[in-house]
Amino acid sequence: MAEGEFYRAANPQEAAGLLAQHGGGARVLAGGTDLMVAINKRKFKPQVLIYLGDAGMSGISQEGDALLIGAATPLNEILASPLVADKAPLLAAAIKQMASPAIRNAGTIGGNLANASPAADTATPLLVLGASLKLVGAKGEREVPLAEFFTGPGQSVLGADEIIAQVKVPAQAAKAKWAYRKVGKRKAQSLSVVSVAVYCPLSGGKVSGAAIALGAVAPTPLLATEAAGLLNGKALDEATIAAAAKAAAGATSPIDDARGTAWYRKRASEAVVKQLLTELAG
Amino acid sequence: MHTLELTVNGQTCRVEVGLKTTLLELLRDKLHITSPKVGCNTGDCGTCSVLLDGVLVRSCITNALSVQGKSVTTLEGITEPGDIHPLQKAFHEHYGSQCGFCTPGMILASKALLDVNPSPTRDEVKEALSGNLCRCTGYVKIIDSVLAAADEMKS
Repeated sequence: MAEGEFYRAANPQEAAGLLAQHGGGARVLAGGTDLMVAINKRKFKPQVLIYLGDAGMSGISQEGDALLIGAATPLNEILASPLVADKAPLLAAAIKQMASPAIRNAGTIGGNLANASPAADTATPLLVLGASLKLVGAKGEREVPLAEFFTGPGQSVLGADEIIAQVKVPAQAAKAKWAYRKVGKRKAQSLSVVSVAVYCPLSGGKVSGAAIALGAVAPTPLLATEAAGLLNGKALDEATIAAAAKAAAGATSPIDDARGTAWYRKRASEAVVKQLLTELAG
Repeated sequence: MHTLELTVNGQTCRVEVGLKTTLLELLRDKLHITSPKVGCNTGDCGTCSVLLDGVLVRSCITNALSVQGKSVTTLEGITEPGDIHPLQKAFHEHYGSQCGFCTPGMILASKALLDVNPSPTRDEVKEALSGNLCRCTGYVKIIDSVLAAADEMKS
């Protein structure tokens, strides 16, 4: 039986060119923690694999007030980064609860986003921090806000010949409160049933520029814009928190699956948002 | 088929693998190194764990071709042949192993921890082993074993 080709892309442009050249049977491979599971389960039979591990897409640096994280950076490298701990501790807090050490050593931030799972655990912190993605295609590159990236379960605006090359994360404001919580069946090695990231920059004791994101409760990771808007200009008092939590749950459209029911997810969404905001107020 | 060169337990190997071949299949079927076990084959159970350039990974979901030029350590390679590692000794003495199926992965995950943190707390051991499933021991004896090995390795 004919064996397909395996390419080691030297840079993101070459990887995008190879995708354009080979079409639908080609996939990019980074850590393999999603793709190899699909291959082992015979859900996908690759004709061409384009390896990104040597494409210079790994590493974390600072540009002005933002972090630039190479899409092929392993999750554990982000978790261990002093720069991330300083500028985007919310992202580190979410990664710490993902999967298990061995999976985080291989799995990458770009892979977590590119697969566009509604339960992608890096998506919620990145959404509230206003992250954007550098997409490199065969015909050039573009920057897309993460808030405009996901279009459905497993679906995104990523073109057939495009890859995520870099994630740009604006640094958290010095005077900001933040919190993250993941509800799963167990602590480790678990897909989110509900996950919530909240980010509340403060100005003179009032919230200004708040953001709330929820995972695994809608067809895509969800920015609860209306709920966050209810916090702006307010102190985090009980009534404000209750209204925001209700609005956040109202924005969800969860499904029943093996991990939880839609009924549970909607109620858990409200409860977790309320819990996190109450913690921030305390 | 594709030709691949890598170092396994200190020895340079040259093997032919396919596009879908996993590191686990390479180790077991091509090199006959059988300590990494085939468990879930989806990255969930941890019994296939190996060290790749010193870092803990799941060999069952690591594409073999992605390890070109890298160094793999399995349980067979953590000591000289005939020797026993303090972790192996501690698992033996503290009943950290019952059926034994999870043990190779448990010991490599423990080694990955002790290599960077020689004096872990009980909670740090739990976190380090959080991706390795055991259906026999209830984990208590495994954690006892790792803490005992850490003490032994320090003295």
